[in-house]
Amino acid sequence: MKTLKSILLAIMATFALTSCTYNKLVEEEETVNQKWADVQTQYQRRADLIPNLVNTVKGYAAHESETLEAVVAARTKATQITIDPSNATPEQIAAFQEAQGEVSQALGRLLAITEAYPDLKANEQFSELQAQLEGTENRIAESRRLYNEAVQTYNVSVRKFPNNIWAMIFSFEKKTPFAAEAGAEKAPEVQF
Amino acid sequence: MILVAALHAATYTPDNLPIPYLQDKTQYVSNPDGILSQSAVDSLNLWLGEMETAHGVQTVLAVVERIEGGDTYEFCMALGRKYGIGSKEQNTGLIILLSTGDRAYYILTGRGLEGTLPDAICKRIENHQMLPALREGDWDEAMLATVRAITHYADGDPSLVGSSDFEDDDDTAALIAFLICMALGVGSICFAIWLDQRKKSYCPSCHQHKMKKISSRTTKNKRLGLITHHDTYRCTHCYFTKELHWDEDIHNGTGAAAAGGALGGSFFGGGGSSFSGGHFGGGSFGGGGAGGRF
Repeated sequence: MKTLKSILLAIMATFALTSCTYNKLVEEEETVNQKWADVQTQYQRRADLIPNLVNTVKGYAAHESETLEAVVAARTKATQITIDPSNATPEQIAAFQEAQGEVSQALGRLLAITEAYPDLKANEQFSELQAQLEGTENRIAESRRLYNEAVQTYNVSVRKFPNNIWAMIFSFEKKTPFAAEAGAEKAPEVQF
Repeated sequence: MILVAALHAATYTPDNLPIPYLQDKTQYVSNPDGILSQSAVDSLNLWLGEMETAHGVQTVLAVVERIEGGDTYEFCMALGRKYGIGSKEQNTGLIILLSTGDRAYYILTGRGLEGTLPDAICKRIENHQMLPALREGDWDEAMLATVRAITHYADGDPSLVGSSDFEDDDDTAALIAFLICMALGVGSICFAIWLDQRKKSYCPSCHQHKMKKISSRTTKNKRLGLITHHDTYRCTHCYFTKELHWDEDIHNGTGAAAAGGALGGSFFGGGGSSFSGGHFGGGSFGGGGAGGRF
């Protein structure tokens, strides 16, 4: 009778522990997903700004078409990649990051050539567009930071003992944070 | 070495920038180097106070000689993260920074303020209101014109909720604290009475709480001023009988209720203190706003 009681108690304790661990992992995974959605929103925001920016620059610097086209092409390529965070592979994240990095680089080159056009720089609409672009780059950086934080918290939970056993049973897998890129993700520096 | 030390002394970090608001909730401006005149600081504090009351926009406006690293955006974000400026519900925190030595400025908007003050509007305010005065070195006018323009945009946004609602929250908290004290007071009285009853119902023979009062009489002693109660209890389990005698002053009530009242009273004292320092609500910043150099 006594052994039966203790076995029952052990089973109950295990279940209590499991449900607690399981719920915690679910919560943390949802946070990661939500932070990822924020990152994508900010990248989308930048993509939405690009046509307007390109058109404004075109009015003043039409013969810089090569640079302008590079921005449009990079944007098109980047907006085609959307990722479902619940089953994203590290390769997908890397591809997403690379495509967005190309947009950043193309934008950086575009902003660099605008330095040569004083009329464009004096244009109020351009100045405000540039401010929006900078703000968006800042938001991207911030949302990526928050995503990486959430991923780190989640990954630590998944790998800790005894969580790792339950993570294995319920197939919670490690998630991939953003890797720091050499210069590519730096917000374009704009001098006034 | 001396030069480095001297430079460092006038350099602020988000951690060592004084925030007068925390000591006095009417002081929104941090002016540690005395760059702004007192009259400008007073006007700014007044306007920013009105903006918090009317629209719930909580502002920190800092004018310093130099910031560490010279990156105004990073400085503002670190400041926002450290203090959580703005209410948690609305996220309407606002940081305005001018570093005259770095010749740089930034307006950083909380997540909930990005609709009222989009990046382009921040830039427009800076280009039209702040920059002309900055170029002339008129720091007072630069800040006054900026805050005036921001107030204008805040006034135009009906979705912003004034901070009087949040003050009500404080009242609610005080009311809840009061009710908890009341409940504790009443609870302790009930507990004391229950304890008293339980003691009386204890049977020393069979150790059960089954004693019931079967008779009660009182005798008066006018010379001593006492009423003596003689209560007879019998156990319903083992029929053990005991008699309890207890004295009561002719003029006063029993002792147990008085003890409960005193306990309740001591709790009430903690509730009513007031704070003159402000507190930040835990708002978050997503990186919105605009800045520049002059």
